[in-house]
Amino acid sequence: MTHSLHREGPLDLLDKEYVLFVYPARGFNYDGSGPKVRRLGEMLFHQGPANLLVTTLRRNMYSAISQEEILNSIKDGAKIFCVLEDREKFKDTMAKIKEMDEGISIVISGVIDRVREVSAELGLNPHTINLSLGIHGRTDRLPPADIRQFTTMCGHGMVSPRLIRDVIRRVKTGKLNLWEASLILTAPCSCGIFNPCRSAEMLKDLVPLYTVNRL
Amino acid sequence: MLIRKDLCVGCGRCQPYCPVGAIQFEELKSVVDQEVCYECGTCLRSEICPVEAIEESPYVYEYPRALRKFFSDPNATHALTGIAGRGTEESKSNDVINRVVPGEVGVAIEFGRPTLGMDLTNIQKVTRAMAKAGITEIEPDNPFNDMIQNHDTGDLKPELMGEKVLSAIMEFKVKRDQLGHVLRTIKQAAKEVDGVFVVDVYTRLEPGLTVPKEVIETIEAEGYTRRPNAKINMGLGRANKRKDS
Repeated sequence: MTHSLHREGPLDLLDKEYVLFVYPARGFNYDGSGPKVRRLGEMLFHQGPANLLVTTLRRNMYSAISQEEILNSIKDGAKIFCVLEDREKFKDTMAKIKEMDEGISIVISGVIDRVREVSAELGLNPHTINLSLGIHGRTDRLPPADIRQFTTMCGHGMVSPRLIRDVIRRVKTGKLNLWEASLILTAPCSCGIFNPCRSAEMLKDLVPLYTVNRL
Repeated sequence: MLIRKDLCVGCGRCQPYCPVGAIQFEELKSVVDQEVCYECGTCLRSEICPVEAIEESPYVYEYPRALRKFFSDPNATHALTGIAGRGTEESKSNDVINRVVPGEVGVAIEFGRPTLGMDLTNIQKVTRAMAKAGITEIEPDNPFNDMIQNHDTGDLKPELMGEKVLSAIMEFKVKRDQLGHVLRTIKQAAKEVDGVFVVDVYTRLEPGLTVPKEVIETIEAEGYTRRPNAKINMGLGRANKRKDS
């Protein structure tokens, strides 16, 4: 599952975004991982994530569900997927995770240079890296890059290019604001790693560039 | 997926939700084109239908159609193989599992990503090319394995040829000195496929979040471009017991 690896978008926005995974290893530290993952989940909620989901519930934090319900769903083997919005929040979160020392794998999807800086500042020694080598084959069939910067936030491809154009039309005609539009785009991603904050910023830039037919 | 004609009021709200545009108007009602539909379930999960006319097809779990569901719906547990999801933990728990050790490189070919999906006839073009290049040992815990009829030839099961998936991941590992050969083969195979896939490699890091020079040089020598963002295992996990094996 490499659904966070190929996120596209302007570097200045990617630079501020850190997807964080709490990942117990099947057969190695699943047993007894529930309470550890819950403690990490409580801390992550406290940090104010842009999005968060626990795999045992599969409902993101915007789906009319309380933090308690999300945390109570955690059992052994549960994973947490979450998005943090800026470098300082990421650094503070990693410092807390290091201090908690729960022994559960933590994976960050983000700009390599920023993760390297923060790791050096906190004395962390990252173990393994997964590098994206790009899209191959009939790339002429892909939606344009301005649409892909949204669709690739859900690596499973659940956010439809047509839905993005639809919310652009609705924002442009005053039926939705940027945040409401972004929450509509966040809903189909059932891994909780679609970033509605980045989406709202990108929509703000994109909406003026599209024309709509009011009829 | 299906939309019940007797209930559909033709509002069209569900149509933008389909990632592959399978829902269209037909005589003022929304209809799912069964050939185009990947059974990902996004339309149903969106809960956008005001009259609850969207349903799972009764035959969605019938083999081989079930393949669409298991490799397109992230919420589906893979009943064909008993493995959830469409990949393994790959780099995510490598600090605990040591799936890839220094001197090795993990490679993943993610068929159909981003967005477009891919039919198995085109996936087979790549699996055959990889088998011909000597890549016959696919990650055993990956449900992709269940599609393969013959690992030595890269042939997929013939009954699956009419099917397609939103994403399936061919995952394997090689020695670092084989990476160039593998990347060259993938690049050649990409010319033959009518669809898209993404390629990624994962490797152990050297101190200071340094990617081994040999890996970088090979990637660049084969004409690949790395994205500035990556997925990084922070090295904070540990096993609380040894795996039985």
